[in-house]
Amino acid sequence: MTSTIDATTGDTPRFVRADGPDKVTGSGRYTADLTLTGMLHAAFRYSDHSHARIVRLDTAPARDMPGVFAVLTQADVPDVHYGPSVADRTLFANDVVRYEGDVVAAVAAVTPELAAEAAAAIVVEYEPLPIVTDVEAALDPDSPLVHAGWADYRSGDVRDRNSASYSSITKGDVDAAMANADEIVRSRYVADASHGAPIEPRAVVAEWEGDHVTIWTSTQVPYDARAGVCETLQLPTNRVRIIVPHLGGGFGGKCGFHFEAHVAALARVAKRPVRLKFSRAEEFLVPDRRREGMVIELESGVMRDGTIVARRGRAILDNGAYTADAGFFPQVAAMHIAGPYAIDHVAVEAHIVYTNKQPSGSIRAPTAPQACWAAESHTDEIADRLGIDPVELRRINAVDEGRVGPSGQTYGEIGLRRCIDIAPGLVGYGDELPDDEAIGVAIGWWPSFSVPSGAIVKLDDDGYGQIVTGAQECGTGAVMTLRQLAADELGIEPERLRMVYQDTSVAPFDLGATGSQTLFNNGRAVVAAAAQVAEQLRQLAADRLEAAPDDIVLAEGAAHVAGTPDRSIAIDELARIASGGELLIGHGSGTPPAAPELSGSSCIGDNGMAAWVAPQFSCHAVRIRLDRDTGVVRVLHVGAAHDSGTIINQIGALGQVEGGVMMGIGQALTEGTRYDDEGRQRNAGLLEYKLQTCADAPPITTEFVQIATAGAGPRGAKGLAEAPNVATAAAVANAIAHLVGRPVRHLPMTAERVWTAMHRTAEQEAAS
Amino acid sequence: MSFTIANTIDDVLTALAAGARPIAGGTDLVVGARQGKAPLPADLVALDRVDELRTIGPEPGGGIRIGAGVTHATLVHDATVVGAATSIADASALVGSPATRHVGTLGGNVMNGSPAMDTGAPLMVLDAAAELRSLRGTRRLTMTELWTGPGSTAAEPDELCTALVLPAESDRSGSAYVRLEYRRAMEIAVVGAAAAVTLADDGTIARLAVALAAVAPTIVAVDVSAMIGHRVDDNVLAAVALAASDTATPIDDLRASADYRRHTVGVMARRAVDAAVRRAGGEPIGVPVNRSIGIGVAS
Amino acid sequence: MSESFQLRVNDVEYPLSVDQGRNLLGVIRTEIGLTGTKEGCDDCECGACMVLIDGQPVNSCSYLAVQAQGREITTVEGLAEGDELDRLQRNLLEVGGVQCGFCTPGMLMSATALLAEHDDPSDDEIRIGLSGNLCRCTGYARIIEAVRRTADGA
Repeated sequence: MTSTIDATTGDTPRFVRADGPDKVTGSGRYTADLTLTGMLHAAFRYSDHSHARIVRLDTAPARDMPGVFAVLTQADVPDVHYGPSVADRTLFANDVVRYEGDVVAAVAAVTPELAAEAAAAIVVEYEPLPIVTDVEAALDPDSPLVHAGWADYRSGDVRDRNSASYSSITKGDVDAAMANADEIVRSRYVADASHGAPIEPRAVVAEWEGDHVTIWTSTQVPYDARAGVCETLQLPTNRVRIIVPHLGGGFGGKCGFHFEAHVAALARVAKRPVRLKFSRAEEFLVPDRRREGMVIELESGVMRDGTIVARRGRAILDNGAYTADAGFFPQVAAMHIAGPYAIDHVAVEAHIVYTNKQPSGSIRAPTAPQACWAAESHTDEIADRLGIDPVELRRINAVDEGRVGPSGQTYGEIGLRRCIDIAPGLVGYGDELPDDEAIGVAIGWWPSFSVPSGAIVKLDDDGYGQIVTGAQECGTGAVMTLRQLAADELGIEPERLRMVYQDTSVAPFDLGATGSQTLFNNGRAVVAAAAQVAEQLRQLAADRLEAAPDDIVLAEGAAHVAGTPDRSIAIDELARIASGGELLIGHGSGTPPAAPELSGSSCIGDNGMAAWVAPQFSCHAVRIRLDRDTGVVRVLHVGAAHDSGTIINQIGALGQVEGGVMMGIGQALTEGTRYDDEGRQRNAGLLEYKLQTCADAPPITTEFVQIATAGAGPRGAKGLAEAPNVATAAAVANAIAHLVGRPVRHLPMTAERVWTAMHRTAEQEAAS
Repeated sequence: MSFTIANTIDDVLTALAAGARPIAGGTDLVVGARQGKAPLPADLVALDRVDELRTIGPEPGGGIRIGAGVTHATLVHDATVVGAATSIADASALVGSPATRHVGTLGGNVMNGSPAMDTGAPLMVLDAAAELRSLRGTRRLTMTELWTGPGSTAAEPDELCTALVLPAESDRSGSAYVRLEYRRAMEIAVVGAAAAVTLADDGTIARLAVALAAVAPTIVAVDVSAMIGHRVDDNVLAAVALAASDTATPIDDLRASADYRRHTVGVMARRAVDAAVRRAGGEPIGVPVNRSIGIGVAS
Repeated sequence: MSESFQLRVNDVEYPLSVDQGRNLLGVIRTEIGLTGTKEGCDDCECGACMVLIDGQPVNSCSYLAVQAQGREITTVEGLAEGDELDRLQRNLLEVGGVQCGFCTPGMLMSATALLAEHDDPSDDEIRIGLSGNLCRCTGYARIIEAVRRTADGA
């Protein structure tokens, strides 16, 4: 197996993931598959209101039921406010409930049915409070507050009343530039909330042994989950062990700290192992991870030659009832409404605003698909106004090597222009199309996240070994790819290395399956760890081959002297020798790449999301067909060109792009959460919340622009998992706008919304 | 509580007379119970092994008799149904997913009484009758008589729907069912329309029936008598669309607004008539229409 | 009330005594102990629980266990011959059709039924044949490719 790809031939090596056989035979265990002797079942009692004060809470009816072993409320756990951005939450709703999925109490009982019955038997009486659902109204100084005590919460964010976090990016003199512009283009867009919707609903199992607890959980971020348990139950780190069995997808939905502490607390009181298993409806309603709704207003000053000289923009993001990890979203949203364009004068800002809805949190490229959809629809509106081809307009304004982006970052060699050159042609841009078909194009970007990570690599006496890593596999194959990196350092086949992972008591820290960071950071750590073992092997070989260690080459299972392949010794033999002396063990972490310097810009509410390490770029082109009688849109073909630096695992990379594109098509057309007037979800199920099916799947043609990027991940790799999700919905939107004659300003662009836009009068359009 | 696996219709009728509820594929019953819509009945009689319910054949005296236990998967490919009751095959091909089509039956769909059922409008335009049997006897109801409201039918608890009976089809006849769907699978009709047409020798309309799904409390027929004697052209199709939209009394819900439904059901009716007429004229349009013409085709 | 009956799963007879209201999925996972078949939704909408009953795909979440007696039930654990993966399993792995793996067992069952019915399915027949199985990871492209390859004899 080779580990690098010939980009010119597109030669794709066979890559069978190490966890693959487990997954195709059904032998692999996911969290909900685990059963422990004596195990009880957990059920939650949820809020009966979107916003209300609890005036009476009586758990006796549940506690008195035979077979119920534990009933917990906030009174039974430490009085701790937690939250990574704003400490605005407690494990159980304390005094006030703020959304329909707020957990008021938890029960452990001998069967799931009894647990549910007991949870329902708990008596809760409420005094309703005014419900906040509209993000713009929530910013009104007279709006009711979702958190009356907001000012007392611990946080580093810029906050005010219902605004939980605010960021702005300003550069140049926007007012003057707008005044001198040939044309001003203004747009407003509204995006509905949506969901990551992994196919595995989450599950948690907890068991205590003495004062230590082991928690098996379907999390993307085991160390973060551990930290959450320790913080909320007031336990030292060393008493909590998180193990993740196979993880059935996440897409951000399983990032963060969720229900591990509730289940651990139940298990401690019950003195039994306890399992929580979510239904699909709970998976929709309860976790603090939904893709936030957004209102976006944009204004651009443009010159007749196509230059965008000024960009003003404002995004209001729906935070929901608690802040989760969404405190950094405003700055990322601001970057996306500015876009990957070299605009000299920029003033963009964003609020994330409390409402009485499910909390928002990181879903695959948080804020980007919606903000890119708005910004890139706006780009096409500019092109339309100027009479310039939309692809050409992007070429004119896109950031490139030596150009300065909206936040004042100057770029090295990047592949955005090449992506713009490639993607439209993949779907026949410029060809004559039937009159019910069109092609839309959009560009996107996303940072690589540079954070600490660690790994251990060892070889045993038989020349086989393990990679012990904190990295978390959520399906992407990023962890699977680590074997290639280590094997290449050691000159052995990847199949010789077994992954030992997803156990916080075994491996060094890693951030987890979040921020597209696994290969970028843990790859660096694994290479560093493997390099130590390689150095040991070279030293051992050098002694036996009477050569200098620096002259020893490790390849194809042997160590040989450079230039004389005959002078060699098998790595198996070296491993056997080492087992009688200094063992073959390496550990690594490496130094995370530093964030670039910004110049000429200033940011209020800066949380580091305006200076992007190793940014990734993409251009997506989508060919669609529109049924003009009904507004139904089918996607016929997608072309995706990506600069994610060096591609190390081609099959895995293609899978990321294809999956991201398909999710983007869903966001574009069918995936949107609908709420009633009280902030309750109306479509919390897979029939009415419509993921795209296999029958809808269009062909997707992908090309990677591979630039080995300095200051990036191993071999010049950048992140990849989130980037493919950024530009698809925008490209679909632009194709629709070509056929409809105007943008559909509400995401998802459902058939009815498209049909409505087609029949909107010019006056209605002007008023919208 | 009891669970009876019946092998004959008589087994079923005896169980029903004793208070059991019939279960065919079980999809609606089991999902409904899990979602808390209605508890699973205490006594159940399973129909899926009653061979007499799973046959398709000629009706004595002319016409087709489709056993109520025939699955959608069978209806999609059965030569008799595809040839003479094509709209039923169109509808069955769109039900849920391959798994639902293998488990779900025509009788189950019909007796569920949902106004959004796919096979209902085709049965209505084909002038089908539902054969209901009990230990007390056998009777036949038209579809209009059968469906009394959303989720309700005129069948008594001890009655089993044993077959759907279609009258003989004249030469130069065709039928079609078309529905609005937001994705190409796993859908429930947003709106749907079926049409059955017989052409006279001169190519004018000798008989026309149109029925609509998901726009009223039950499947509803459209009065298209004014089209009889006309040649099908854009004007006639526009009149059909208008009549369908006027007949519809849709609601606003998650899937669509009433206005959008009223408009699109007209579009579906027009397309159904168009496809039925083309089929009547001998043009082979594959099953289902949704995937053979129009937006449903994958490139 | 418990019903006593036998289920035949992957050529093995299991004597059971379970409530008649129990669904097949729960009985396969709990009483029989085969957890390869997954639960992804509550309402027949995701396909993760797909099994074959007499060779036909069935959502086991909405099928009563008691109704499956006397039938041949096949789960994902029944596909491989000993340690040898069947061609569909191998192709799915080799073309990259497996990511998180949670839809994979159900997808394999639907694909197995599809290939038993069509030995040379068109791409659209594959798309429709797998349309009852939601996958959130792959965008379906590689799964379609794996079925194509298997039909082609790979």
